[in-house]
Amino acid sequence: MDPAERTLLADALRKTLVSGAGLADLGWPDMLAEEPETVVPLLFRLLGETGRHTPALNDVLLHAAGLPLTGTPALPFGGARLVWLRDGSSYDSPLDPELPLRHARGDEPSVPLAAGRRALGWWLLGTGHAMLALARRHVLDREQFGRPLASFQALRHRLAETYVALEGAEAALTAATDDTGSLLAKAAAGRAALTAARHCQQALGGIGFTAEHELHRHVRRALVLDALLGSARELTREAGVLLVREGRTPRLVDL
Amino acid sequence: MRNSPFTGPAGLGAFRRELRDWLDEHDLSPAGDDGGLDGQVGQLARVRRALWAAGWMRYGWPAEVGGLGGPSALRAVLGEEVAARDLAEPGIWSMVEVLVPTLIDYAPPALAAELVPRLLGGEEQWCQGFSEPGSGSDLASLSTRAVPSADGEGWRVSGQKVWTSLAQYAARCVLLARTGSPGHAGISAFLVDMDSPGITVRPLRTMHGVDEFAEVFLDDVHVPAPRLLGAPGDGWRLAMDLLPHERSTCFWHRIAHLYSRLDRLLADGCEADPDALGAAWLDLHTIRCRSAATQARLAGGGRLGPETSVDKILLAGAEQRLFDTARDLLPGTVELSPHAGWRTGYLYSRAATIYGGTAEIQRNIVARRLLDLGKE
Ligand SMILES: Cc1cc2nc3c(=O)[nH]c(=O)nc-3n(C[C@H](O)[C@H](O)[C@H](O)COP(=O)(O)OP(=O)(O)OC[C@H]3O[C@@H](n4cnc5c(N)ncnc54)[C@H](O)[C@@H]3O)c2cc1C
Repeated sequence: MDPAERTLLADALRKTLVSGAGLADLGWPDMLAEEPETVVPLLFRLLGETGRHTPALNDVLLHAAGLPLTGTPALPFGGARLVWLRDGSSYDSPLDPELPLRHARGDEPSVPLAAGRRALGWWLLGTGHAMLALARRHVLDREQFGRPLASFQALRHRLAETYVALEGAEAALTAATDDTGSLLAKAAAGRAALTAARHCQQALGGIGFTAEHELHRHVRRALVLDALLGSARELTREAGVLLVREGRTPRLVDL
Repeated sequence: MRNSPFTGPAGLGAFRRELRDWLDEHDLSPAGDDGGLDGQVGQLARVRRALWAAGWMRYGWPAEVGGLGGPSALRAVLGEEVAARDLAEPGIWSMVEVLVPTLIDYAPPALAAELVPRLLGGEEQWCQGFSEPGSGSDLASLSTRAVPSADGEGWRVSGQKVWTSLAQYAARCVLLARTGSPGHAGISAFLVDMDSPGITVRPLRTMHGVDEFAEVFLDDVHVPAPRLLGAPGDGWRLAMDLLPHERSTCFWHRIAHLYSRLDRLLADGCEADPDALGAAWLDLHTIRCRSAATQARLAGGGRLGPETSVDKILLAGAEQRLFDTARDLLPGTVELSPHAGWRTGYLYSRAATIYGGTAEIQRNIVARRLLDLGKE
């Protein structure tokens, strides 16, 4: 796909997500089958940026496992196993009640997780950027002590820190191909989104703590998506276990 | 030694393979475990001379300065292999990556053709004289002065530089001095011979015991006219153009070095704390991915700018975390071991957030230039 086509697709995806229409209208299963390396990062990052959600994670996992795109595979979450419902209304995720997550019954298929981790990594990246955009707008608009908040170095550095973490995560996601690369990329993305949540919340002050401001929805989402298929902490530990076992640090990317 | 540049998609891989074979056959490892700087600089010169003679050191550099051409990534691969085998200390190894492109871009071509091969070939060391006692982060305030000499044949330079790495070994110095008004526009750059009358070098002791930098005093030093780099007033632009060089191939060398330290940590039987080790690896992996992308952009003809501050912040953070982890997981080693390795590495890592633009200055750049937050 050339850059112009990507932009077109991104626009179409954004419109679809914001309008609340289903991905099926855009020919999602075909796109996923033909160009997963392009459409998965695009779609999932947009989910984060727009604050919307779809059950497409199921398709990504099933497609990577070579299974038909129906049903809901089991999704490890801490010590639990969840499913991402394709429809239904009663959910088990009180922190982010919009997400149609339910405890698994036990008969759902277990599938390899790498592709799902990459997709969630892109989603977390988008969520992090959504928070950064909100905080940036706020510090530019609001004045205290007779000057914009954006002129205070303490806040500038928090937002810079956030940006750096997100950029690092994006580099790791872009380079991720194999299992280990996907594991590290999701760890980096989870960590970056949590960094964004912390710093952006602080920059937004009291308004960011209200239910009427959008921030809290992204914060909640970041926490849930981080924990899904392995949190930054769990995945970092898994990487450490691998290091101890191998006794040498794998170099996953080269020039 | 083959003479064709390793170009094309398969070039890097072929280069790496042939280089590895050559390094397997030609053992350039340091003779003793001499942590001292004399030993390091001597070893660096020895490695350079051998690699230059065999041609490896020439790839990725243009023919005008004795090179054999090919993409600059060849230099990154060479540095990576050198770092992976601990053949030379990566900091001093990488200095050519900053100085040579600067000379190619700004020196009169005849000057670059004459002098650069001496640096690349290990005959000479050079240094970079930017910082001054009164001008560190605020480099544009520097006060070393260069005035046209009375005979019109060049310049007379007076002032003081500080933290000048390798000045005590250097044959030449890329020096910034004020030729005009206060501020950025009044700064010019020169290539100064360090044996010029009027130059005094006083080495400084460093915290980590490898006394890599020095004070340089310049007292009415004559600098010939052709040693002006670029035009009068180009000094600031030269300094800014230099940063991307420092943050592409050089960073790749440093990252390779840090991977080899993490391997060493595992080999030294560290406490098997998977959280800490995983976090150290995650940081290294992240900057490695970022640096690979930066170099791909450079290879694709892109210009590097303020976004390399992201690379710098990630690298400094990764380096400090790695050595913090080593200190935690090899308890007592940094403090008590008779072998200086971990101690030196740990202490040197403290400077990673200072040299090359401090951590705070990098964050200022990200906030101003990348997040567009306006002025402080
Ligand atoms: C190992 C090593 C090697 C070096 N090699 C060389 C070399 O070869 N050539 C050379 O020219 N220089 C070299 N340097 C010097 C280096 O570039 C300077 O140390 C660096 O630019 C910082 O300047 P400074 O030390 O004067 O600290 P200062 O600029 O005085 O900074 C002190 C503290 O104040 C903070 N600070 C300053 N300004 C701001 C601001 N606007 N906002 C927020 N915080 C701020 C800094 O971040 C820092 O934490 C080297 C330094 C080291 C440590």
